[in-house]
Amino acid sequence: MTRYDSLLEAFGDTPLVGLPRLSPRWDGANPVRLWAKLEDRNPTGSIKDRAAMAMVRAAEAEGRLTPGCTILEPTSGNTGISLAMVAKLRGYGLVCVMPENTSIERRQLLEMFGARIISSPAAGGSNQAVATAKQIAQQNPDWVMLYQYGNPANAQAHYEGTGPELLRDLPTLTHFVAGLGTTGTLMGAGRFLREKAPDVQNIAAEPRYGELDYGLRNIDEGFVPELYDDSVLTSRFSVTSYDALRRTRELIENEGIFAGVSTGAILHAALAVADRIAAKDPATRADIAFVVADGGWKYLSTGAYSGSLQQAAERLEGQLWA
Amino acid sequence: MAIEVKIPTILRTYTDGAKSVDAKGDTLSALIDDIDGSHPGLKGRLITDDGALHRFVNIYVNDEDVRFTGSLDTELKDGDVVTVLPAVAGG
Repeated sequence: MTRYDSLLEAFGDTPLVGLPRLSPRWDGANPVRLWAKLEDRNPTGSIKDRAAMAMVRAAEAEGRLTPGCTILEPTSGNTGISLAMVAKLRGYGLVCVMPENTSIERRQLLEMFGARIISSPAAGGSNQAVATAKQIAQQNPDWVMLYQYGNPANAQAHYEGTGPELLRDLPTLTHFVAGLGTTGTLMGAGRFLREKAPDVQNIAAEPRYGELDYGLRNIDEGFVPELYDDSVLTSRFSVTSYDALRRTRELIENEGIFAGVSTGAILHAALAVADRIAAKDPATRADIAFVVADGGWKYLSTGAYSGSLQQAAERLEGQLWA
Repeated sequence: MAIEVKIPTILRTYTDGAKSVDAKGDTLSALIDDIDGSHPGLKGRLITDDGALHRFVNIYVNDEDVRFTGSLDTELKDGDVVTVLPAVAGG
């Protein structure tokens, strides 16, 4: 059934497509295959629609959100855009606290949906956005901060949606690879997979930014999302802008998938695992599913898709791309 | 044998501002001891009093988080690159 009463019903259930050209062994008795879960097919074009819908619904059910309320959220972009759409359709205001070093497309989209943006300094990246949002929440006690880093509904959306969809579409799944930001995708889908298919390995790819974004005053200002539980993961890769860009371009060139930069980082981790398996043992098979978190549209202005890789990586330095 | 260790801005007070230092060790634990010999105090910022990796410090060997490869017992070989980063918010 592909008819829905509202855009708010038309999310999730995204396609899982094979990557025959990038997979180390697509055919044969023991294939090592890569599969892309196209989360850019959600209403606002990113996987964050799942978390946004789930967090709003949970807050409504708890009575925290009532018509006319204002939602406050620290976000580097996609969660904000998802929340802005949901807020518009459900009758809420939205204030996003966003680092100033995010792409112009994200700002334009948020403004178009009617969200208010409060910029936090580039130095400190999302860390600073979280700290700023917490301060603003104290000053505005009537605003509702859904707080994606610690809201169980974020992970639950993936426990109930992303995880079951993966296993339904690919019962032979051996590895699940996703980005690690709020950690909601991996904690939710990862837990579901651990319960239903205990041998599945959950692999995280996190962005490695320039020095500016790690600009803490001391180590104790560091941040680990409240949702994070490292026992759900099998391994975790830190991926540079250069490698993320390289893989983003390979995805277009070989498989025709136009994805955002964070997807390149996720593919980089997926390929590291796939190549390791394929090189080690010709008798081992693997089905590795990874998340295409969003499309490339919101990153065109960063220059990620033009010029040499080195030039593009330099242009991306100091910007948040996940 | 030398292993390159990348130091984040916040800890460069211990390395006279150097972005990376060379060190030796068959395991991460031995490597950190070696660094602490040449750059005293650094170990105390990476490892807590009870011998665990600091909660807000992430260490990667060739881009892979050591918490999933044996933590401080992670084995090292010549040419590995070790990256130290503070844990910060993403997403």
